[in-house]
Amino acid sequence: MATGQVTERGALTHPDLTRLDDVNRDVLKMLGRPGKGWWILFGIAAGGIGLFVSLWVYQMVRGIGVAGLTSPVGWGVYITTFVFWVGIAHSGTLISAVLFLFRAPWRQSIYRAAEAMTVFAVMTAGLFPLIHVGRVWHAYWLIPYPNSRFLWPNFKSPLVMDVFAITTYFTVSATFFFLGCIPDIAAARDRATGLRKQFYKVISLGWQGTDAQWHHFGNAYVFLAALATPLVLSVHSVVSWDFAMGIVPGWHTTIFAPYFVAGAIFSGLAMVITLIVPMRKIFGLEAYLTTKHFDAMAKLMLLTSLIVFYAYLSEFFLAWYSGEEVERTAFWNRVFGNYWWATWIMLTCNGLVPIMLWFKRVRHSIPALFVITIFVNIGMWFERYVIVVVSLSHEYEPFAWGMYRPSFVEMGILIGSFCWFSFWFLLFTRLLPPIAIQELKEVMPPPLRKRKSMEGAH
Amino acid sequence: MSRDLAERHDGILRRDFLKVVGVTGAGATIAGCSTQDVERLLPYVTAPEEITPGVATWYTTVCRGCAAECGMWVRTREGRAIKVEGNPTHPVSQGGLCGRGHATLQHLYNPDRFHGPMIREGDVFRQGTWDEAERLLAARLQRGRNPQNAVDGGSVLFIGGHTGPTMSRLIGEFVAALGGVRVDYDAVTDAPMLEAARIAYGVESVPRYDIGAARLLVSFGYDFVDSGASPVEHNKGLARMSGVNDESHAKGRFVFLGPRLSLTGLNADEWIPIRPGSEAAVALGIASAIATPDAAGPYANLLQAYSPAAAAEAAGVSEEAILALAERFRTEGPSLAMGPGAGAHHRNATAANLAVMILNHVAGNVGRTVFYEAGSSAVASRMGDLQGAIASMSAGDVGVVLVHGTNPAYSLPATAGFREAFAQVPFKVSFASAMDETAALADLILPDQHFLEAWGDSAPRPGVMAIQQPVMSPVSLFDSKHSGDVMLAVMRLAVPATPPAAATFYEYLRTAHAATDDAAWRQALRTGSVGATEASTTAPALRAPDRALSFDLPTFDGSGDLTLVVHPSSRFGGGEFSNSPWMQELPDPVSKIVWHSWAEIHPTAAAARGLVNGDIVTLSSPHGAVEVPVWLYPGIREDAIALAMGAGHTSMGRYADGHGVNALDLLPGTAEQPSGAMVTVATTVTLEPTGRRMRHATVDGSAGDQHDRPIAPAVQLSLLGAEAEAAEEEHGELMELQAGGGFIPVPAEDGSPASFPLPGARYGEYANAHEGPRWAMAIDLDKCTGCSACVTACQAENNVPWTGEDQVRMGRDMAWIRIERYYEHVDATQASDLDIRFLPMLCQHCNNAPCEPVCPVFATYHTPEGVNAQIYNRCVGTRYCANNCPYKVRVFNWYRYTDAVPEPLNWQWNPDVTVRDNGVMEKCSFCMQRIREAENRAALEDQRPVRDGEIVPACEQSCPAEAIVFGNIRDPNARVTQVVASERTYRVLDAIINTQPAVNYLRKVTFHEVAAGEH
Amino acid sequence: MSTAGESGVLASYEYLDSTVDAIEQLRKAGFKPQTYAPYPDHHLEHALGYGRSPVRVWTLCGGLTGAATGMAFPMWTSLTWPLVVGGKPIVSIPPYVVFTFEMMVLFGALSTIIGIFVLSRLPVLKPAVLYDPEFTAGRYGVYVEAEGARLDEARKILKAQEPIEVREGAKHG
Repeated sequence: MATGQVTERGALTHPDLTRLDDVNRDVLKMLGRPGKGWWILFGIAAGGIGLFVSLWVYQMVRGIGVAGLTSPVGWGVYITTFVFWVGIAHSGTLISAVLFLFRAPWRQSIYRAAEAMTVFAVMTAGLFPLIHVGRVWHAYWLIPYPNSRFLWPNFKSPLVMDVFAITTYFTVSATFFFLGCIPDIAAARDRATGLRKQFYKVISLGWQGTDAQWHHFGNAYVFLAALATPLVLSVHSVVSWDFAMGIVPGWHTTIFAPYFVAGAIFSGLAMVITLIVPMRKIFGLEAYLTTKHFDAMAKLMLLTSLIVFYAYLSEFFLAWYSGEEVERTAFWNRVFGNYWWATWIMLTCNGLVPIMLWFKRVRHSIPALFVITIFVNIGMWFERYVIVVVSLSHEYEPFAWGMYRPSFVEMGILIGSFCWFSFWFLLFTRLLPPIAIQELKEVMPPPLRKRKSMEGAH
Repeated sequence: MSRDLAERHDGILRRDFLKVVGVTGAGATIAGCSTQDVERLLPYVTAPEEITPGVATWYTTVCRGCAAECGMWVRTREGRAIKVEGNPTHPVSQGGLCGRGHATLQHLYNPDRFHGPMIREGDVFRQGTWDEAERLLAARLQRGRNPQNAVDGGSVLFIGGHTGPTMSRLIGEFVAALGGVRVDYDAVTDAPMLEAARIAYGVESVPRYDIGAARLLVSFGYDFVDSGASPVEHNKGLARMSGVNDESHAKGRFVFLGPRLSLTGLNADEWIPIRPGSEAAVALGIASAIATPDAAGPYANLLQAYSPAAAAEAAGVSEEAILALAERFRTEGPSLAMGPGAGAHHRNATAANLAVMILNHVAGNVGRTVFYEAGSSAVASRMGDLQGAIASMSAGDVGVVLVHGTNPAYSLPATAGFREAFAQVPFKVSFASAMDETAALADLILPDQHFLEAWGDSAPRPGVMAIQQPVMSPVSLFDSKHSGDVMLAVMRLAVPATPPAAATFYEYLRTAHAATDDAAWRQALRTGSVGATEASTTAPALRAPDRALSFDLPTFDGSGDLTLVVHPSSRFGGGEFSNSPWMQELPDPVSKIVWHSWAEIHPTAAAARGLVNGDIVTLSSPHGAVEVPVWLYPGIREDAIALAMGAGHTSMGRYADGHGVNALDLLPGTAEQPSGAMVTVATTVTLEPTGRRMRHATVDGSAGDQHDRPIAPAVQLSLLGAEAEAAEEEHGELMELQAGGGFIPVPAEDGSPASFPLPGARYGEYANAHEGPRWAMAIDLDKCTGCSACVTACQAENNVPWTGEDQVRMGRDMAWIRIERYYEHVDATQASDLDIRFLPMLCQHCNNAPCEPVCPVFATYHTPEGVNAQIYNRCVGTRYCANNCPYKVRVFNWYRYTDAVPEPLNWQWNPDVTVRDNGVMEKCSFCMQRIREAENRAALEDQRPVRDGEIVPACEQSCPAEAIVFGNIRDPNARVTQVVASERTYRVLDAIINTQPAVNYLRKVTFHEVAAGEH
Repeated sequence: MSTAGESGVLASYEYLDSTVDAIEQLRKAGFKPQTYAPYPDHHLEHALGYGRSPVRVWTLCGGLTGAATGMAFPMWTSLTWPLVVGGKPIVSIPPYVVFTFEMMVLFGALSTIIGIFVLSRLPVLKPAVLYDPEFTAGRYGVYVEAEGARLDEARKILKAQEPIEVREGAKHG
């Protein structure tokens, strides 16, 4: 019987949740007065944004030369960080859309946070192309806007594809995110008082949970998920083509799209875990984020880590197998050249450390997972550093080989970007239900009169 | 502010006007020598008819950058000299200009020039008026002239440098009138060569070498491309001699003997790394091997004394090497041997030069490739004479010393004691136009005019007269005055009894050339010279030596284990060019290092001392010590270490001071006997690591390693002719991109090198894609000598800024063209083949340009004329194009570099070329402004098409080796099409990435077999 | 309580199955009940006899429009400003496919959102008179509009399923 199934599905992930309104209670209490810790974190984040902005302004005034960028390495920490954040942005939509389509039972309690992470990560990533161009005040030329001289962007350029892919991704994931929030905002509205109530009243758009609303909502959600799924795969493919469409040895390879997508999901999942572990602790969500969730995510990480590591190896193999002197030198230089350390960090953090995830005990130990994901985050940043910087430093023309050393401006802006991200994520945990209330209820055992009477018989 | 502008504007107007009259004889005096600047606002009512604003005016003059005195064309715009170029009609230099020649423009606009006469007051200088300054000097001279004078006795001493014959004569009269003594001194001269010529043939001039006529060129440490008697002429000669003829496959051989490979040496086909000072022994050894002693006339005994074995012994090389070279002398004539130059002046340099002359004599080269003609203007600049002057100065016998055109306080070894002696003199006068080490010590500075502002003449060859005419009125910021005028004025004041006949130097000059009638004079002004060199094919007889000379190894001071080789810099000469940011940032042709000094040491020698590149060491000789980073260089003997002259200035200007070390600090203050030249290879040094290390500011990213890539391939001479197919197959099948993506093979007839760039290539579907010109370039690597003149020429033409030492160290040099230098085979341990590849790398204007499609805003695209265009004001600065450029020829404006260019250096900027903004990409444009100028000219002249050779990019114009050819590849008769038809043609990296460049290279040709790895 | 003219009655239930029963009986009796629920429950939708939502049409139209735009626009701009880059044809399809796809997704997603808002009349500016905040927490609600006798009948059916409470008021605007 249908309801029976419902009961089992619920039991699968949330054994100790019985009453529907428990969820509202637990989740909505997170929106209460922020504690001291939150304010400290928020303060740090805000300060970091200050650093971020001032450094960027300094760079605009003095010139992009204040970054360590040079010839032949025209892209450095900025593009590395751009790709890093775009990658982070992937698991959110993966969990909310892809796993939704696959009806993965464990997604409900994490997807809201993951989606929020996606939106904020894209917001962060989107800044870096602006930061890295020489004349940011002309960056709008990349957008096809009608102008008197009929000047248009070059639609053959991967960078323009990027502009479209990123903006599309941001728009779609943001609307997807907001749509999912509406019923929960309504829930918050019905519990809140005073100013907050007014705020929620407005953004809940007067949601009441009538059958008509639920009906269209449900259908639309499926279609959005269906659209978002290929989008997830396309976005990082396009980002990877920024490189693959260049002829730089180490960039020009067809493996890049799948390789980047896998890497993105890998890093994204790692970041999700890094974020929800403290969240779980602070807000006492043990009932909602069980080891089962972490186990599932850890398995997914393990899979993607294997794909990524395979991509590394096949790159090295093909460089050797191609017999192209240029390719061979480029990859030899990766491992044994001036930037050997970056490459070894990448291989260790993304290839060796995740091996531990084969062990159930590791997958079930939250602290262990937390540490591993930190490693993965670092490793994935360095993966992009290796691809961008090391490839550029050793190209076709030996006479023009060179070294790139990041400047304090670049490092400051890198740190600032994390603050910018945290700023939004911290706000999110206070303003929107960080766990999807209504979706949790879908997988919880519905309250049934029959069962009650049975209990009464005892 | 607006008033300043108005005044400057007015200044420009005056220059326009004055120049117009200036070049037509009459008003010339005003132009040449006018210094007073009337600052009044004048409306541009009647434009001078010879000046069309926006259209360049050209003048001929003589380059005074060094004693070679090449012919020069000067391009002026609105009354400002903005570009200097070689004058092809000049009988000596025959077109082309070296980097230093270009840099003379930065002396003209040197921001550190004096703003007027400077009079010392205590420790500081006060700017005075010319009248005041001349009266002051006259007064002091009158006192100085009579020793009884109570104030300060002593006579007048005049220290001069190289200058034109008429100016030299005036100086003579000036000194005579004052009863003074005159000494000439230049740091870099061929005095020993001159002296040897005097001894051997009684000729008071350096021999003239016709390198182009030789088939075997042997240089005994004579760096004739770096410095020497006539770098441009000799560079051209070398290219003509060693550049292979594609029809006859004839190619001359160049053998270099010396402890260190200079730029000249890097162009050799063989290197015999002889011990420093053994040139004489080797030359005589060879002579004795190829001729009977009596062929050497009075020097027969020498030939008996020096056998090839003895030579090998002295030189530290195998006897086979000597005999092999001797064999070449017998078989590969006509030969030419050149004696040690300024980079190899050891204590027996005169003897070495004499020995080389004997070798030339017995080889029968005199009258064929080497000529001895009296009367060339090369001055016998003698440190020997100067030492006498130094003695009398310190003895207090000198009351007034005047220094003109030379800077002994810098260009003499410290131990010569010039500074101390100079300080003794009560009244010291300098004619320097900008501050230098000597002027800094002076009491009175009378800033001379730059040669582009002044009249003068030159007699580079017997029978050749060239006029140095002012091309613009003096830079209005600087109240300078022609030293000739100053001397005439002072003579009038100091010796009223016998005033000079001429009122001005122009008058003096014109009377000096009274023999030249006005027609010939105007002719000289137009073409830059009159007369021509006629070779005297008579071989004079050898004379017996009039003094005892030692032909054995010279003595070296100190007990260090490394012999110090100090050589003139191909960028700074003896140090005159150190305040030019162009020269400072021009990568040294050998080391590719900019701005700072380095000591060249062999990798093995460095390893033995545990040194790596950039380790800062202390070099100490008995005469001094310097701290300098080492640079590992396979082209130097393991027992030698080399330093370049010209760096380490203390008070020369903002760009020279504090950069590098002065190599002369290590040298003895003694002169070579009998020539009296400064000895440069006379001491050993000990090397002491300081434990500190620095990264070189270099543009060489791979330490000269080509990594087996088809970048600068070479072909063995004997394989020429058999190469055609090989080249084809090496190129691989040509593919072109299709509309739907994917490639199809290019039709065979399109694939032939002659038709490159492929007419079939899709630049894509421009309506007129197959009409109109398609610009292309050909560069013959067998001619290119790596002299880097094109780099500076490009910088001058295209307003390419300099960025400074730290920026270059980061990799941010802005040059649009760079000379890549790859070592393929260098062996400092024995005589062997030498294979160095020079490759001028500029934008290849690929037909399948990787940089174009990646630009998001079409800031770079392909024009229907096949040029890869860069639209600065459309550029957003994503730098993707630079990342994707396999040749790395795109440079980025990381800062607003041009903001750092001070007045009036920015007066040199070419008004036809945009000054780029912060944050935009730039690169070679094939000198688009020159293409357009020629096209417009052609259009104005009854719509005729542009003639081949009418468009000459700056690099081609400046190339002394004539290695670069530019033109329309569509025109079957164009020079570029002809050249590209060569079987040696290839396109860099095209074989592996199908970029289809429009720049075609012709492989270097070697005598030895080219190893597979070396292509 | 009963008033002249049409008015509505709202019952809040604690249990899903009782709600479902109430709906089924109301519909048998010919009422058009409206329900409130804390989450989309297919049992309710089934009981109310919902078919497929027309929102899919919005998605389709949006997607197709986007795809067309994404291919046509780059072509048009290339032709209005024909510059050759990298030896590639002026209109080169492969890169434009990316834009086709991105635009398809973008337009599809946006039109879907608009679809929901239009179809489920969001945003609701005038909130319901009879509404229980517990609906977003744990309760189910059934609301019927009727008059006079019919209203009593509806009330009877609703009460039969042991509601937590029953409220009445003027019909919703």
